[in-house]
Amino acid sequence: MKKANDHGKFKYGMVIDIDKCTGCGTCMVACAAENNVAVRADQSDKERTITWMRLYKISNGKEFPKAEVSYFPRPCMHCDHHPPCVSVCVATATKLDFNTGIVSQIYTRCIGCRYCQAACPYGARYFNWWDVFPQDKGMDRYLTPEVSPRMRGVVEKCTFCHQRLMRAKTLAYAEDRREIEEGEYVTACAEACPAQAITFGDLNNPEHEVSKLIKHPFTFRLLERIGTEPKVYYHSNRDWIRKLGDNFLPGEYTPVVNKSWAEEEWSTKPGRDEF
Amino acid sequence: MKDPVNSPKKSSDRGGDRPPSGFFPRWMNINLLAQDVSFFILGLIGASIVGWIIFPAVLYSKHPQPINFNHALHLDSEKVDGIEGETKAEKCLFCHSFRDDGTFAGIQKLEKCTECHDDPESPLGETPAEKTFMTKYVANEEEIPWLVYSKQPDCVYFSHIAHVKMGNIDCATCHGVFADNEKLPLYVKNRLTGYSRDIWGKRISGFYWNKKFSDRMKMDDCARCHTEKDQEQNNACFVCHK
Amino acid sequence: MKITRRNFIAAVVGGVAGIQATPLPWKFTDDVAIWTQNWPWVPVPATGEFTDVSSVCNLCPGGCGIAVRKVDERAIKIEGRTDYPVNPGGICPVGMGGLQLLYDESLRFTGPMKRVGLRGAGQFKEISWGEAFDIVAGRISNLRKKGTPEAIAAVDGNPEGTTVSVLIKRLMRAMGSPNYVRPPSINDTYRMGNLLMQGTLAPMAYDLENSDYVLSFGAGLLEGWGAPGRVMNAWGMWHDGNPAKRKTRIVQVESRASNTASKADMWVAPRPGTDGALALGIAHVIIKSGQYDSRFIADHSFGFEDWRSLEGVNHTGFKTLVLEKYSPEQVAEITGVNPKTIVSLAKGFVSAKTPVAVYGKGKDNLNGSLYEFMAVQNLNALKGSINRSGGVLLPDPIPLSDLPLLEVDAIASKGLKTPRLDQAGTMRYPFTDSLINNFTDAINRDSKSPVDTLLVFSANPFFTLPDGGGFKKALEKIPFIVSFSPYRDETANMADLILPDSTYLEKVDDIVWPTGLQYPLYGLSKPVVEPLYNTKNSGDTVIELSRAIDDSVGSGFPWENFEEVLQTRAKGLFDAGGGLVSYDPDAPAWQRQTAGNGPKPEYESFDEMWEGIQSEGMWYRPVSSPRSWKGLFNTPSGKFEFSSKLIAQAIENYSNKISKKAALKNMGLAATEDEVCMAHYEAPKAGADLSAYPLKMLPYEMINLASGWIPSPPFLYKTIFENQLLKDKSFAAINPKTAAKYHLEEGELVAVKSPAGEVQVRVNLSEGAMPGIVYLPLGFGHTAYDEFLKGKGVNPNNIVQAGQDPISGYPVWWNTPVKLIKV
Repeated sequence: MKKANDHGKFKYGMVIDIDKCTGCGTCMVACAAENNVAVRADQSDKERTITWMRLYKISNGKEFPKAEVSYFPRPCMHCDHHPPCVSVCVATATKLDFNTGIVSQIYTRCIGCRYCQAACPYGARYFNWWDVFPQDKGMDRYLTPEVSPRMRGVVEKCTFCHQRLMRAKTLAYAEDRREIEEGEYVTACAEACPAQAITFGDLNNPEHEVSKLIKHPFTFRLLERIGTEPKVYYHSNRDWIRKLGDNFLPGEYTPVVNKSWAEEEWSTKPGRDEF
Repeated sequence: MKDPVNSPKKSSDRGGDRPPSGFFPRWMNINLLAQDVSFFILGLIGASIVGWIIFPAVLYSKHPQPINFNHALHLDSEKVDGIEGETKAEKCLFCHSFRDDGTFAGIQKLEKCTECHDDPESPLGETPAEKTFMTKYVANEEEIPWLVYSKQPDCVYFSHIAHVKMGNIDCATCHGVFADNEKLPLYVKNRLTGYSRDIWGKRISGFYWNKKFSDRMKMDDCARCHTEKDQEQNNACFVCHK
Repeated sequence: MKITRRNFIAAVVGGVAGIQATPLPWKFTDDVAIWTQNWPWVPVPATGEFTDVSSVCNLCPGGCGIAVRKVDERAIKIEGRTDYPVNPGGICPVGMGGLQLLYDESLRFTGPMKRVGLRGAGQFKEISWGEAFDIVAGRISNLRKKGTPEAIAAVDGNPEGTTVSVLIKRLMRAMGSPNYVRPPSINDTYRMGNLLMQGTLAPMAYDLENSDYVLSFGAGLLEGWGAPGRVMNAWGMWHDGNPAKRKTRIVQVESRASNTASKADMWVAPRPGTDGALALGIAHVIIKSGQYDSRFIADHSFGFEDWRSLEGVNHTGFKTLVLEKYSPEQVAEITGVNPKTIVSLAKGFVSAKTPVAVYGKGKDNLNGSLYEFMAVQNLNALKGSINRSGGVLLPDPIPLSDLPLLEVDAIASKGLKTPRLDQAGTMRYPFTDSLINNFTDAINRDSKSPVDTLLVFSANPFFTLPDGGGFKKALEKIPFIVSFSPYRDETANMADLILPDSTYLEKVDDIVWPTGLQYPLYGLSKPVVEPLYNTKNSGDTVIELSRAIDDSVGSGFPWENFEEVLQTRAKGLFDAGGGLVSYDPDAPAWQRQTAGNGPKPEYESFDEMWEGIQSEGMWYRPVSSPRSWKGLFNTPSGKFEFSSKLIAQAIENYSNKISKKAALKNMGLAATEDEVCMAHYEAPKAGADLSAYPLKMLPYEMINLASGWIPSPPFLYKTIFENQLLKDKSFAAINPKTAAKYHLEEGELVAVKSPAGEVQVRVNLSEGAMPGIVYLPLGFGHTAYDEFLKGKGVNPNNIVQAGQDPISGYPVWWNTPVKLIKV
């Protein structure tokens, strides 16, 4: 048995640029369409509506007309260090694959105890309270065979579109290659984002764009201090957004000061805070 | 005191405040024990019959394939144009081919058959199977409802190209030898699961000595092979599940 | 031997022990476990061969390229095309969920149908196409025989200039009815403004990608304005820094903290309907500081300085008007925007290299105001951002061929002479093509509907019109309604006959110049799957219908099928030359600046070009270098007109008929003299007692909810926040200060009442809402479709009390007075 920090070849992860994110929700729809996610008549009950990728609306808390909103797109974080869901799963239905960094979820193995759902600090796991679809509407005609539809009573979550990794590998094999190139395996949300806010790649490969982006001082992760080492990173020029990445006590948050470097190298414009 | 063992029990002995007679309790009576053992064995035999013979007979139903496809005939390069190749696998791939994107076509659709069997009026051979094939399927442009011996549950992902092309594993390693078959075996279906018996293995016991990979197609068998071939990283859940 | 109880127990024990040594318990347990994984109601999607079909999305006029992934014959996923000029890779959420619109059977009509239930109940009986054609053709030819073809009317929601809409217009002419109306769109405002100020018939062409300062007046850049795939891609690029390494700044002018406003570099919030005044205030600062492009003003504009006409009459120019009436302080009074902000906006705009001022109102499926457009376009002129990279470009109209001239018979020519019901194009609305709100009023005014038969194409006016439910009443009065919608929308449910169109994934259709794009593009969608049901492309339906009516009408439609019409029109694209039919992502269409000698043609014959268009779905001509000024402005003065001579002429014409005062009043103008020819601020007329209705209601649009005639794919409801929709109630965004006045708390039920009606919503306390304004989301409140869409929230259109925009006559839907009543 390998240790949690003894990693394999790949470590897939993503960087989401919140300033580019337009809050349009295409990532959510692309995710649902790609992964055979169930739809129900009432989807306003957000505790029971399944959204592997979910937008959280945040606000800077200022009064009109200084108020502004923004969004945290939240897939599964694919925690790299002792994923809480994996630790608690009694059925070994969810595991961290050290070779890809992807936290898997096997529906047929899941017993539906929902312990993982309670353990996940990001609320990224969803329980199937119902079967996939209302029957007899012909909606099963758009289901993809690449992802197994879930039955009632199991937990599901974002898989970093694992089927797309398999697709990319299969194509590479057909073309007599063993390795896949950057960009060949990209999640559905990253591909669909019309503003190209999501970058996906191998964090172990210094050549990949994601590896470069995570070094930026404006890049942060959600609830970084609980030590689960999420592989989903966020990026924003706006201080108030970065501050919402964790539950800071007053005075705990230190704004990033390394701005001159950032502006020259990375940023095309100052954040709105400085405009 | 009389020998309690040998003393016949009389109803008159009972009653009163006499303690139970003898050192050995009555149920240890050798005759009774012998009877017990024989009935026990009877039950044992009965259960074995139920478990080993009746249960499998009830559990499985047998279905013939819609057409008796002759693999041996079709793999004869003298009879079939284009079937060539050094290895058996290469020959198999003539029909059971990879698509351009690397996915596996599996059992081909009618379209592939009609590349040769194009005219329903003029069969290429003389077998009754071909005749049925021509009249029933080719003429009506109907797909043949093959029963797939190796069909896995929906949650299973299997990449043929990774095993056959990149791993150089022969088709027969997992599927057994089909290439020399003149007749398709009966499709034996598990009434409970709906899957072919070949998945769980032909042996109802589930025990094998020197198990071949073609004997069974369960998760453990995949994992065993990965481990044996030093591909342990491929035992991660998402490699074979979707 | 007798079997005793004891023997029996021994046998059972033996049996139980024995069974452990057989496979039965173990195999049985295992099999049962597998059995529980195979519930028959959990679908197992069939696998097969994966393919990608390239097409073009036709759900909005944006025309994004889409690649549809298929397994054998089933479409399983829609993705954005990277080899399409409009949207390099991305699409909007509505387009992403498009397969649900194809496959959700309860959203669709599965064949031609006849109404059997009450109007609106949605009960239909399937009939044959032959029977359907007989019914509608019989009715129409009867009207023609009676000599009243003008009693036929059509509402056409297909974007202007598309081949289907050209055919529908032609059918109306051939039958002899002038009553062809369209739902409003921002393109109507653009078209009119372009005509008056620049004299061009080409659509608005904003060179967003090359701009370094985007000053957007109300355009919902992130709410779905223009081609969403294009604008959001530009958004990403602006944040990356475009290839010239300039830092693009985005300023949003809007009263609500929409996504665009929040995400922009700066947000300015004027009161709704005062965007024009703000633009004029910025113009004031620019003119006063003298930082305008004096060369452009001198060489290529008319009406900036005061001028004297040939008759020797002195006229006021734009400069005088603005300096007099629109100082930052005066504008602050109107708009509520701090004078300092106005000055800083002006500074930002003139100090940018290639700024552009964009006008819009949310998405593009509602109209704007003419004078607001003019005010904003003046800023582009002041900075010289016209016919310059990064500004407003002036391309030629798309060179599609006209169809052969239609010869109408005696009945038709008599019918065509009757006045249009909506009065569009009359002296009162001289530049307007169609005024659906007037059309509605005309039907509702009389006891008997002047329209006998209404044909509805690709539109759901019942739901989408900002008319306080007026069109619904009109539908109830119209004796016979035919819907060509593929979907069971509200308007179709009122129809007597359904001749269903195929959905956009099942048919050939064209997209003509997506809104706001800076270069001409002709897109062609193709059937991604075979039609699932007994539906027919409306283009073909129109041709067949014309023949079914009578020979005289039919003779105007000599084509075999719709595709032949498409080809006939596309001939012009070939003759014009210079178009491309394939796209290289490394050479974006907005970047190519090959001076003069354009890109090399990729085809030699028309057939070759058409084949290219069919397979790639595009014909476009990349942006070329700035065009020669000569003959560029086709206005009466031959220049960009700050002061429109056409407006002056129109008012004069009308004044010759009735008094000038009455003419101005009829055209909705409070201003007089030269001011009316120029951009100026007209205070909206109060349509109600403002003490009874102290607040304003403003409908707002979201990109993740379809508010036009296309239903929202059910997936979209996943993206709606719980403070926008909860169970069956939608939310009004209200500023906490306003809510406090009414003692309203988050989530509380409240009735929003306007003179036109009342809706019940929940309260969402939002600091992004301007105090005094109630913001209601558009797209909720369907009373048709299936359980995914029906009965969710309310439709703000039902309580809109729309005034009329001066001169254009388009509905002013952003100024409804309302009050709040706690429930």
